[in-house]
Amino acid sequence: MKNKVPLYLLVSFLVLLALAGLSLYIGVYRFEEPSLLKILGSLVKGDSSVPATDAYIIGKIRLPRVVMAVLVGSILAVAGTCLQGIFKNPLATPDLIGVTSGATLMAAVTIVLGESVRALIPEVLHYSMVSIGAFIGALGAISLVYIISSGNGRTNVVVMLLAGVAISSLGFALVGLMTYLAKDEQLRDLTFWNLGSLGAATWTKNAILGVVMVATYSYLMTKGKAMNAMMLGEKDAEHLGVNVEKIKRLTVLLSALMVGTAVAFSGSIGFVGLIIPYILRLLFSSNYALIIPLSAVWGAILLLSADTFSRTVVAPAELPIGILTAILGAPVFIAILVRYKKTM
Amino acid sequence: MVKGHKICYSHKNYSILKGVDVSVEYGDMLVIVGPNGAGKSTLLNVLANEISRNTEDIYFKLKRFKEWDVLDLSKNKAKFSQHYNGDIPLSVRDVVLMGRYPYFNTVPGSNDLEALEEVMKEVGIEDLKEREYNSLSGGEKQRVHLARVMAQLRNDVAHKLVLLDEPLNNLDVKHQYQVLELMSAFAKRGNTVVTVLHDLNLAARFATHVLMMKNGSVLAQGTPEKVLTPEVITEAYGFPCSIWNHPVRHHPVILFGN
Repeated sequence: MKNKVPLYLLVSFLVLLALAGLSLYIGVYRFEEPSLLKILGSLVKGDSSVPATDAYIIGKIRLPRVVMAVLVGSILAVAGTCLQGIFKNPLATPDLIGVTSGATLMAAVTIVLGESVRALIPEVLHYSMVSIGAFIGALGAISLVYIISSGNGRTNVVVMLLAGVAISSLGFALVGLMTYLAKDEQLRDLTFWNLGSLGAATWTKNAILGVVMVATYSYLMTKGKAMNAMMLGEKDAEHLGVNVEKIKRLTVLLSALMVGTAVAFSGSIGFVGLIIPYILRLLFSSNYALIIPLSAVWGAILLLSADTFSRTVVAPAELPIGILTAILGAPVFIAILVRYKKTM
Repeated sequence: MVKGHKICYSHKNYSILKGVDVSVEYGDMLVIVGPNGAGKSTLLNVLANEISRNTEDIYFKLKRFKEWDVLDLSKNKAKFSQHYNGDIPLSVRDVVLMGRYPYFNTVPGSNDLEALEEVMKEVGIEDLKEREYNSLSGGEKQRVHLARVMAQLRNDVAHKLVLLDEPLNNLDVKHQYQVLELMSAFAKRGNTVVTVLHDLNLAARFATHVLMMKNGSVLAQGTPEKVLTPEVITEAYGFPCSIWNHPVRHHPVILFGN
């Protein structure tokens, strides 16, 4: 058998590239310069051969947003797939087990109550306070769910999902409380977090997301084999030379980092980590060696399409992207429930 | 090869293993037998390094398990468990390929694929290789895992250890003999096989050594002729039997009942 991963990845990358080009080009603003390549070329060279407005729209608005959609989509899908691997269940996604809620909750707490501690911490950290808060929230939620629902190498799916429900309702209540306490300008930030948006994309945020992506992927991308082996049972995976405890701990930590960063910059965009692995499983069965790398690309494709759609469908207004992914995600959730009814 | 001295194990104040001594050498095929709840599987798990407590005195190739590198250990020792997850949404080929995971990083090499084909042929599952694992019958699944375990130990390492926990569950008579013949041949190549079996006649036919357990202790240990006597069997199982000599192969044949 030939190894088909590179071929699938190549095709997926081409789809993503084409989509990114399309997404850069369409939108409310109509370019004076018809060639996208020319605009990008002038941006790279730094000359002024194209109208300044065109260059501004691409360089400062659309390109950062497209890049952010790619990074966030990819990160969320990979976090979902890897969590499913260690929980050994296709329903273990950041949204359903409360990780996104945990991150949103702590982001909200940081936004509203952060001002009082702002004076106490070094200035460098001000900018990343929300990210750190979201990361701590995500890590707390995921560790809590894992401790409650897993034991003896098995995950109790019902307990896992109910723990997610519990954390989500706590998150909902506390975000409500924060909304009550919030000042006007904080309120705007909070609404943004709850619905999710890529509208606030900047190159600084993209750089941080990029660093998180490189750091986490360099570990997770090669763990497909180990996650396959864990389907046998954890003891049996250990017989195959897999260091199960280490992989579980690091995966929990890294997914919390990924979800936390994504939530901090783009709010709670749900279900990407559920939809993508589900579709990939239908196509390639549950071979993690294949679906972890592929979910990195297809997560990006999904979120980029959703974002492009959300900013063009009711132009010049914008549909919150979290609503869109939830509309796509809920049927997938139900489909998984129906399919796995017997084994739960 | 594997040596355990005074192995004890208890679970919630209930003692399951009470000072068991085991020693297996290269080329041995040790069959652990005994009534339900005698501690057979627990002993096997201890020897397989699945239970980390109280394994201080277990030596595998003169080293304690803690002193082994995990990856190196997986090329020296494999285990076939009694209960596998019934839901593994992969093809049979992908499941057997897991046995080669210690040998490649991301892409299986040509020797891995060769080993894969060979073991599937030996176990007789090459017709199933494209099938979904989840669609197989219980016996077929058992054989897939057996092929996987054999693929794991297909290497140049001398003196390997395979541990099997009731590998014959769900298998028909032909496949029972096939599995034990494969294991017996594996042992004869200088390796060690330790297996839990329920069928005393199969133990008499294939074992080089038999270990009879009862209530967490060793009742008798040695060659099949020495262990499989009416006295030992009746004491272990509380059930009468008589021993006959196999007319051709001259190993003990056990007939149960009065």
